[in-house]
Amino acid sequence: MLKTVSNMFAKKKTEKFKFTDAEFEELGLSLKKEIDSIFGRSLAIREVDSGSDNSPEIELVNLTTPYYDVERFGISFVASPRHADVLAVTGPVTHNMAVAVKKTYDATPDPKLVIAIGDDACDGGIFKGSYAVMGGADKVIPVDVKIPGNPPEPKEILKGLLALMKVIRERKSN
Amino acid sequence: MKDAKNDLKKIFSGDEMSHAGTGCNNEVYVPVSEELFAKKISSLHENGFGLVSLFSAEAFGKNRGFTLFYAFEKPGIEEVVILLRALKSARATSIAEQFLSAYQYEREITDGFGVEFDNAFDKRRLFLHERYPDDFHPLLKSFKNGKIKMKATVKPEDEYKFREVHGEGVYQIPVGPVHAGIIEPGHFRFSVIGETIFNLETRMFWKHRGIEKLAEGKTPQDCVKIAEAISGDESVANSFAFCNAVEKISSIDVPNRAQYIRTILLEMERVYSHLGDMAGMIIDIAYPVGASPFFILREEIFRQNGLLTGSRFMKGMMAVGGLNKDIENGALDNLSTYLEEFAARFEEAAKVAHSSSFSVIDRLETTGKVRKELIRPLHITGPVARASGEAIDTRLDHPYGIYSKLKMQKRILEKSDVMSRFDVKALEALDSVGIIRKLIAEMPEGDVLKAGKIKDGFAASLVEAARGQNFHWVYIRNGVVDRYKVRTASFCNWQAIQHAVIGNIVPDFPLINKSMNLSYAGTDL
Repeated sequence: MLKTVSNMFAKKKTEKFKFTDAEFEELGLSLKKEIDSIFGRSLAIREVDSGSDNSPEIELVNLTTPYYDVERFGISFVASPRHADVLAVTGPVTHNMAVAVKKTYDATPDPKLVIAIGDDACDGGIFKGSYAVMGGADKVIPVDVKIPGNPPEPKEILKGLLALMKVIRERKSN
Repeated sequence: MKDAKNDLKKIFSGDEMSHAGTGCNNEVYVPVSEELFAKKISSLHENGFGLVSLFSAEAFGKNRGFTLFYAFEKPGIEEVVILLRALKSARATSIAEQFLSAYQYEREITDGFGVEFDNAFDKRRLFLHERYPDDFHPLLKSFKNGKIKMKATVKPEDEYKFREVHGEGVYQIPVGPVHAGIIEPGHFRFSVIGETIFNLETRMFWKHRGIEKLAEGKTPQDCVKIAEAISGDESVANSFAFCNAVEKISSIDVPNRAQYIRTILLEMERVYSHLGDMAGMIIDIAYPVGASPFFILREEIFRQNGLLTGSRFMKGMMAVGGLNKDIENGALDNLSTYLEEFAARFEEAAKVAHSSSFSVIDRLETTGKVRKELIRPLHITGPVARASGEAIDTRLDHPYGIYSKLKMQKRILEKSDVMSRFDVKALEALDSVGIIRKLIAEMPEGDVLKAGKIKDGFAASLVEAARGQNFHWVYIRNGVVDRYKVRTASFCNWQAIQHAVIGNIVPDFPLINKSMNLSYAGTDL
């Protein structure tokens, strides 16, 4: 009891945080509206690295950090493909990862969507022609949206997710 | 700093030394005959030399067959010593008994070139996983890079064999290659008794993209973005090391202003890398509030990178001869002002490890110890080595760029655990901030690019990336890259984690892993 009371009056560990990236906030709120409507307020993303240089992964992690905090918009990154609505693939699919990517896709329950994040995942990037890679993610699994960039910035990734929402709406209306 | 040639006189005869040559970047190349090779290796081992890298090249110089390059370093000597071993066939003897880290390089050479190593204790494939066809050796000149036909199925006897531990209550936990978080792929085979880890074997190379083969035939300038792609958060360090090698081969003097800015970019990369590790360690003990300040500062550094260079990872800056573009003095001054405020907030955030609560200290202290005896045989470098008491730092041991002008110190701690690695990274990040601000204050004027004719030749180039020592070797022939060998710190440092986890519990594995922050892409190439 005493500890609780003293905690209430103790110096707070959090800091006042000035964040004014208006464009990102706007994108995020539009995305939240779409996620609320299409996904019932929760979009679960499973990330699969099929051979990236790790920079797309870093940007995806950055999306969960305080400056962006995409969980506010309903996005969560899940630990298992079984829990996922969307697979986010990064990197040109290396031969060594081909089977793992396919298995991850097969393990994801329907309905599922795939986004390719980064130039390498889109079409192989600078690794086109290497004996070790298959090319973009679409060489192994069907891809719904491609987000180019080396790597795409957090804002670009959010724009890509909004594009995904558009693709879903278009398919629904067809 | 002692002169390598004096030390080498104890190992090599006068006649042998007369055939030795000084390389373009101050390396010492010593050709060794096959008859005397084993004796020289033992001698180097007895005299305290450590193996930096071991690689092969085909059709090097006058030798039409395979030449093996054995790169060594010794504390106190600035020059890298490279033994040249011309093979008469596709067979060689292993040196793994004296230089343990050689066993991985030898597997790499067998995969790449088909050279077999007699008396090697580990002959499993390394970067070519099971589905790659038999007798496929991509780095041979006879193989033209392009699509190949993979095996449709893998026979059970061809599956990769892991070390098996048997006993009552022992079970295996295979983790990966796809991991639960947003992270690169790799495989970990744990043998566990209850929650305690009894054995760990790592298996990497799931992301092998064929970087070295891709580089061949490209002009040096076209190869810079391949060097950047080795590992996204070592883009600056690797592209610098590559450009440095080419500049040394072609005797191109990089302008002063470019050298200063290059150093600033290298240190910014170190800062954001260490910030990520520190955030990761605190997140992995389930304390997100303590980790948040590091995530906030790291995002701010990414944004600073973007303001300075147009890329949050500072990609696209390095060029052969300097930099692709200048950074205005105004932008540099803004960075310096920001970093002053950054330092105070960083120091405040770093207190989390020691003062917040016993539960934090309890998780970090004594966890994941890397014994000092393992450092040199496995060639562990970077903060992991420094936190285990090994006084090594490539910026001071083999200075490059303008590092010899900077008065910096090696941050050495003794306890070898996760806490020590956290503390070393905190000290280094602040040191880097100090270096950056000093360089901005003393920034010279002038050009940032010196055009120069590309000459044929070869050179080694070492760089201290955030994770440790990266080794690059570039061979230019007819104006294009003939052979590009890269060995990032992670290639060696992964061995350390197999030892660090023994006796620790499985839930501490992510914490130990984050404390070392090893690159999968940088290992796999």
